[in-house]
Amino acid sequence: MRIAVFMPELLRHLFKKPATVDYPFKKLQVPKDFRGTPYLDPAMCIVCKACERDCPAEAIEITDVDPAEKRFRMVIHNDRCIHCAQCVDSCPTTPKAMRMDSLYEIATDDRHKLKADWVYVRAVLKPKAAAPAAPAAEPKA
Amino acid sequence: MNFQIPIGPQHPALKEPISLRMTVDGEVIVDADIRLGYNHRGLEKLAEEKTWLQNIYLTERICGICSHSHATCYVQGVEKLMELAPPRRGLYIRYLVSELERVHSHLLWLGVAGHEAGFDSFFMYTWRDREIVMDLLEMISGNRVHYAINTLGGVRRDIDEGQKAKILEGVATLRKRSEYYFHIGANEPSFVARIAGVGLLSKEDAIALCAVGPVARASGVARDVRKEDPCAVYDELDFELCTADSCDVLGRVVVRVKELLQSYNLIEQMVKGLPDGDIVVKAPRKAKPGEVVSRYEAPRGENIHYIKANGSDKPERLKVRAPTLGNYPATVLMLRKGFIADIPLIFAAIDPCICCAERTVTLVGARNGEESVVRMDDLRRQALARAKNAPVKGNAVWPF
Amino acid sequence: MAVLRTFLYLLVYPGLLFLFVYSTFCEWFDRKVYARLQNRMGPTHTGRFGLLQPIADFVKLLAKEDVVPDAADKGLFRVLPAVGLAVVATAGLLLPVWNFDLGVPGWTSFPGDIIVMLYLLSLPTLILFLAAWSSTNLFSTIGGARVLTMLFGYEVPLFLAVLSPAILAGSWRLAEIAAFYQQKPLLLLANLLGFIVALIAVQAKLERTPFDIPHAETEIVGGTFTEYSGKKLALFRLTFDIEMVVASGLLAAVFLGGFPGGAVVGFVHFVVKTLFVIFLLSLIRALTGRIRIDQVVSFAWKILAPLAVLQLLATILLKGFLS
Repeated sequence: MRIAVFMPELLRHLFKKPATVDYPFKKLQVPKDFRGTPYLDPAMCIVCKACERDCPAEAIEITDVDPAEKRFRMVIHNDRCIHCAQCVDSCPTTPKAMRMDSLYEIATDDRHKLKADWVYVRAVLKPKAAAPAAPAAEPKA
Repeated sequence: MNFQIPIGPQHPALKEPISLRMTVDGEVIVDADIRLGYNHRGLEKLAEEKTWLQNIYLTERICGICSHSHATCYVQGVEKLMELAPPRRGLYIRYLVSELERVHSHLLWLGVAGHEAGFDSFFMYTWRDREIVMDLLEMISGNRVHYAINTLGGVRRDIDEGQKAKILEGVATLRKRSEYYFHIGANEPSFVARIAGVGLLSKEDAIALCAVGPVARASGVARDVRKEDPCAVYDELDFELCTADSCDVLGRVVVRVKELLQSYNLIEQMVKGLPDGDIVVKAPRKAKPGEVVSRYEAPRGENIHYIKANGSDKPERLKVRAPTLGNYPATVLMLRKGFIADIPLIFAAIDPCICCAERTVTLVGARNGEESVVRMDDLRRQALARAKNAPVKGNAVWPF
Repeated sequence: MAVLRTFLYLLVYPGLLFLFVYSTFCEWFDRKVYARLQNRMGPTHTGRFGLLQPIADFVKLLAKEDVVPDAADKGLFRVLPAVGLAVVATAGLLLPVWNFDLGVPGWTSFPGDIIVMLYLLSLPTLILFLAAWSSTNLFSTIGGARVLTMLFGYEVPLFLAVLSPAILAGSWRLAEIAAFYQQKPLLLLANLLGFIVALIAVQAKLERTPFDIPHAETEIVGGTFTEYSGKKLALFRLTFDIEMVVASGLLAAVFLGGFPGGAVVGFVHFVVKTLFVIFLLSLIRALTGRIRIDQVVSFAWKILAPLAVLQLLATILLKGFLS
């Protein structure tokens, strides 16, 4: 039975820098492809509603604003979002209309401030080039 | 002098609410009574209303520490129902994340065991080293907890060469640290004095009470789902089944640290031998009717999911048997004849994941023994009526 | 004039205000050392280097709601924290730092004051037991039983270990013991074993790891302190801090050669030596885990007490050899 087995390790740590990062004065970098909050690029959206169907938390809502002009409104309820990025995976366009950013400090005191919406016209993508035509988007985030 | 101590539902020793009523005589425990139900969320019912794809995220959130094991167990079952064969690269990445999760869970448990025993320095060190694993998982999957790397038919993200190098580097550091913690855990006299000879569970009792995971393996029962029922990847890899013979909490510490070292071997083999190819096959929307039982070795033991499909795009029934539920009867046996000071250690030694093991509360009629499940609104109404009609009590004692 | 001087003596220096400030400084030192040993930061943001953190904790506790349980014995429950504070502050007055005249005993330095100080340091344990008993909470009762059980373990080794240097010095007066060792510093080495035993026993008296069984957080929620909140809890915590300062002052006076040199130099000696003893106590706290109550008693009687008796024998032999 040995006493004070831990001692050399403990004393060594007296002279090392602490392992704590002094948040919020210093912050760590998040890695690439970190799953932050989802947002829309309206220029690419073809309103297939795959993201709305696949979202586990029912956080995406697409409604008609003006069927004649093919104007739609998407609301992303960031307070319901569970940040799984399934909407990004389900989005069929290239480059994707639904994207994920790296923001994680989104806490606020009113859940309704977390909702983001866009009103836009459905994009028409040429089958080969997949470049957008007629983007009349006004992002109102 | 027998009196009852309530450990829980709120107690500093517990991370989640559970009620353990101990009848004690001085410092010795005479009997223990476990009551569940404080964390019940109705997940199995909710799973019947979400599609197969959405349920991956739901099952992942049954638990925070063993989240990937629930998601993997579910996805294994659904892939069998849909008759999908995920590509080998996808399977390797899926089980690589499983082994990384096992590492993170066992390091977390070592810290928690240290904290319950009052050994706070050990707790701080193991959790500092656990940050290495969390950063690796964040790099691979995009999030530190709830990795969501599984999808029907494979995985969602790929690993490139830079990430592979970082994983190997992280594992090399962790291996050195784990060997040091093994040395400390087995040799520090105050720690060993607390955990040796505590929480005895003999081999016969472990088998009779259906103990699973490291609790059973520390009593000499050599069972591991990865060896018995290997799912396409584990029978190509080389690892040992870790057991111990001391049947007490020290044995469980030893088993978990040995499993850590085996996991490092597995991770290195998987990263170095990662096959090329696709990571996912396309999955259909609907599953053919059928039922499947899927087993998986979570860090805490054997995890069983039963899934029944009826041809639509939603499951008809999902039943989850988490490993902690299997260990509860063994815990009651272990708590008897122990000291009060041992309660947090014995309970922590089964690595309780209480939210995994929640079940509904049934009312058993005292006179006729009839069981019934009552809705929350009805229960609330009954409780309010009773409180209004009951006399005011002065010093209330536990009514049961 | 003399009345004013006595009031200042009791309330400012070396009385309550000085003990309050110094004990919060020592608590900061203890927390910072403990954190650095564990590779963490410790208090950082409250005041420069976090120096004001213990004072901030005290003020916060004073501002919280003070709940007295219905079933508790209200008189005892209310009065005990103040009594505990008074006892340890009085013990603090007996340390041989403050102005005293070696030739003329006064009421802070007299033959036998080492016994009085040991007695005053044992009282907080009884006060803790009474506090636990008067709370009538299940967890407090268990905590109170554990406090007394531990008392049976460490009290005898502590007494034997602290009294051996007094026997060697041939006096029961702290100031004279310190003066004896200042003249013959080499004899301090003869008390090394007693120093180690006294250090471990003081750790048990202060209820710190590995002996923080009576208020083990993960087992009995708070032990003695479960029902205390607000001002009473603030006073209890202050009592423990001052007890730490007084106990380390006692150890420094008896084992480390006292505080020579008059008012200013003696004060510097006091600070340095008590901080050294507190550093050792923090090291022990970070080094081990909590042990069980039955293991404490068996450890104390099988290891600590024989070592203390050994130290006593060695001291007696050395005294016979020297004279």
